Amino acid sequence: MSRLAAVHVLSALVAANLRRQGRDRIGLFFMVILPFVIIVVVGLALGGHAGDGQRLRLGLVVEGAGSGELVARFAEHPELTVVRVAGVAELRRQIGQGSLVAGLVLPEGVGDGAVRLPFYLVDGSGEAAVVRNNVHAVLGRYGALAGAERMAGRLGASPAQVDLVVARTDPIFSDVRVVPGAETLRLGFAYTAPANLVLFTFINSAAVAGALVETRRLGISRRSLAAPVRPWVLLAGEVLSRYVIALLQALLVVVVTALLFGVEWGPPAGVLLVVAAFCLVSTGVAMLVGGLAGTGMQAAALGPPIGIVLGMLGGCMWPLLIVPPLLRDAGHVFPHAWAMDALLALPQRGLDGAMTPVAVLLAMGVAVTAVSLHLFRRSVLRTR
Amino acid sequence: MLTAALECEGLVKRYGSLLAVDGLKFSVTEGEAYGLLGPNGSGKSTTIEMVVGVLIPDSGTVRVHGHEMARHPLRAKRLVGYVPQEVALYPDLTGRENLRYFGRLFGLRGQRLRRRVAEVLDVVGLADRADERLGTYSGGMQRRVNIAAGLVHEPKVLVLDEPTVGVDPQSRNAILESVERLVAGGTTVLYTSHYMEEVERVCDRVGIIDRGRIIAEGRPEELMATLSPGGRAEVEVDGDVQAAGVAVAALPGVAVTVADHRPRLLLVTWTEGADRLPDVLQALNGVAAVVRTAAVRPSLEEVFLHLTGTSLRD
Repeated sequence: MSRLAAVHVLSALVAANLRRQGRDRIGLFFMVILPFVIIVVVGLALGGHAGDGQRLRLGLVVEGAGSGELVARFAEHPELTVVRVAGVAELRRQIGQGSLVAGLVLPEGVGDGAVRLPFYLVDGSGEAAVVRNNVHAVLGRYGALAGAERMAGRLGASPAQVDLVVARTDPIFSDVRVVPGAETLRLGFAYTAPANLVLFTFINSAAVAGALVETRRLGISRRSLAAPVRPWVLLAGEVLSRYVIALLQALLVVVVTALLFGVEWGPPAGVLLVVAAFCLVSTGVAMLVGGLAGTGMQAAALGPPIGIVLGMLGGCMWPLLIVPPLLRDAGHVFPHAWAMDALLALPQRGLDGAMTPVAVLLAMGVAVTAVSLHLFRRSVLRTR
Repeated sequence: MLTAALECEGLVKRYGSLLAVDGLKFSVTEGEAYGLLGPNGSGKSTTIEMVVGVLIPDSGTVRVHGHEMARHPLRAKRLVGYVPQEVALYPDLTGRENLRYFGRLFGLRGQRLRRRVAEVLDVVGLADRADERLGTYSGGMQRRVNIAAGLVHEPKVLVLDEPTVGVDPQSRNAILESVERLVAGGTTVLYTSHYMEEVERVCDRVGIIDRGRIIAEGRPEELMATLSPGGRAEVEVDGDVQAAGVAVAALPGVAVTVADHRPRLLLVTWTEGADRLPDVLQALNGVAAVVRTAAVRPSLEEVFLHLTGTSLRD
């Protein structure tokens, strides 16, 4: 059998399977609609950040007049987004639910002299620590300038001269960089987009195994063996079909979330590599389910629960950074955790930061696909 | 000289301790329709799957137009069209899409593929429904597409494994007519069934298979002649049936029984001579009035029963 003939058969198999998938309306809902509904809802609930370059949200409660200039200093800080909040109770609530990283109360007379400013943050939060440093920097500069202004007045400088000097003074902002190997907590769309890519690519791959079971159960695979085609070409066609479907699902999430929500995925080549490796694992699982399940309904029913459990362990439901080390280690028995590690590392550390997870995913993918191919082939030959 | 389109020699297939096919041997000449007749579990489908190259025999050889299936499977398979017992098609694709898929598996493409798909849709009479999904077809229509999928690449040998199982009489007739047209057109056919009337209708030659072996082979009329070299008749009488039976039984070489369910019907069998019915009627003269007579032709079912002691549909 020539290489061209093999490619012709492969393309026939892939075309037939894609056409079948395209006609499965429930399957399309799970692939095209549901992932984005979850990304939007959960992403907004987690703050709606689109990437790691996002400004950290600082809540300000302004209790009296005279703090306008200080509020303006906070607003011009490149790493802070200032959100005016009505009162302390509301400030605490928003910090508690995660929509604000930290909060500051500006009491009456804050512009007149030394006062104590209550600062609210969640204990142990790395992002809140960054905000606190930035708040200290803004307050320090504000206090220094106010002091300099008072001193200049005492020395006889006019307010216009003081303003001129102040205007020439550039603020100094810290530029926070993440050191390779360090972990940071991503929230909002920056977290839910990769989480749902992993979750739905896996679940839908397992679910489309239903069509594979039907192909086997109806005797189509067996009948195809009567064609002048090497058996491995037929198997490769089934694998490739599932791989293309998984890849389409993953790339759909990447493209849509990048375009609509501005999610920063990192270097495209790196994203493609990670996605390709994870799709290989998902395809292997699809073939495994396709070889083991007795009916298409069985396969379709197996996908979501397995996918959700592995998603929970792998950090697709909540970041692994917030779970105990034992659970985090347990999660890394499965591919989801490695895929999340890779996807979360890409925007910060590029492909270098994702190489280990990618290697693990590729190894898992090759192993699962090899086992599943063996089982699927056996199940096709066994069916009578 | 007749050319062998399909030759099977010494085919053996075991499933664990079960010997499914036991040294099976037969051959089909080019343009011939050969029927494998046997009950469920006799080894028909296993034989068929070895013939089409889906199943590898434990021993023995299959040759298609001289190409050995084990040594040159791609060459041999290209010449064979396979219609499995189940409707092995994608229910969520249309009839045309299914045929295109199987055509592409056999290397067809472009204009030739389109032409062949249109032709086989005509052969099975489904051109007008070709673009509807297979899942919306009746069982009989699905079976017709199932046959079309085996024909799309213009095989030299068509292998049909019980193609009419579970279909209504109308669809069954349509399927048989399609097969008859193919046979008339010169396609070599290997046909399995446990419906003897189908095999009698379609096939030139029949092999009776039981427990994985061919136990009798020949033209249908030859096989039936082995059961009764003489003849049989039904004679319905009016009058003393017992006396009529005794009169007929007195004839040399003639046996008679009274039908269980029809007490005025005599079943008469003779083992010698082409036609002993005139002798029977003469023997009945003055004993009982003859209402009706009919010659009875033995069936392949009876041949099978005679050879194996079991019914085809057991």
